[in-house]
Amino acid sequence: MNEFSELENELRKLRPAQPSPVLLERVEEALEECKAGASPATQSRMPSGLANIWWSLGFGLAAAAVLILFAVVTMEHRRERGETIAQSSPASEARAVPREMEQSTSPSRFVPAGGTNVVYNARDEGLHFADGSERPVRRVRYQTQQTWRWRNPETGASLRVSYPSEEIVLIPVSGQ
Amino acid sequence: MDPIASHENWRNCFCELAPGLLLFARQWVPSAADAEDIVQEAFVKFWRRNHNIEHRALLYAAVRSIALDFIRRDKRRVLREATAVAEAEPPVEPHFELEDDTQSALAAAVDSLPCDQREVLVLKIWNDLTFSEIGGALGISQNTAASRYRYALSNLKKTLQPQ
Repeated sequence: MNEFSELENELRKLRPAQPSPVLLERVEEALEECKAGASPATQSRMPSGLANIWWSLGFGLAAAAVLILFAVVTMEHRRERGETIAQSSPASEARAVPREMEQSTSPSRFVPAGGTNVVYNARDEGLHFADGSERPVRRVRYQTQQTWRWRNPETGASLRVSYPSEEIVLIPVSGQ
Repeated sequence: MDPIASHENWRNCFCELAPGLLLFARQWVPSAADAEDIVQEAFVKFWRRNHNIEHRALLYAAVRSIALDFIRRDKRRVLREATAVAEAEPPVEPHFELEDDTQSALAAAVDSLPCDQREVLVLKIWNDLTFSEIGGALGISQNTAASRYRYALSNLKKTLQPQ
């Protein structure tokens, strides 16, 4: 029992004013409206859900944009690397552009501007009998780097494709 | 008071809590009708969100929040009406059901308490909240709630002491 016990007891004897009888009915009506899903409070929660959807959509679009940007930068980087390799090849050999490529020219498109085929390794793999043949063949393996260039005469833009290739040449050996 | 958590029926729950909730709401709004509006809105909001009645501090927090919103929203109207009824006698709506002069004096002493002490007293005495629940409802610490309660009782004692 503390020094305020008596005072607390006196305060508890005070009874708060009772609510008006209609308040209970009003609360009941409001709760019924809520059950029916027509309460203003329920409606006010809907924009919150919509806002969540918009946030998700925004984040999704932002993520997609970042991915696209990353892909573009990566492709550009690879293309630049390909150009560097092609230009620094020690023994480049100028080659004529394939005829079928020349035929695809159009004033508004890229036209073939040249090509190179750099052989950076050749290996003699010795004599072989190819597919049951009675005559031996010498097999030589060439490793090359091929580069093709196109140019747009209207805009001056150029396109360069460079890729490694491997070529196996079978040379018939004639007996002496 | 029976454990409120055992009430599954909102009607029983509301009937038991309503007088204390109204008294709490009237800390901010003098009109009983306005206090009833606030209590109705808070209770419906609380019940609709399926709050566990064991977490009733949230109900009192809702009453307080709605009452403060009501005051802000109603500021202009109050000012307008205050000038219109400046000369008229303001209606006196008792907060308590008074039985004698002693109780009237006690009620007047409660009304004269500072707001922060009075709201703690109201929650503790007439709503049976623990200090922890009071702290949750008012956004203060449990110790602060206990301290304010003690100041309130001390002030009441001073006020009620015979001169």
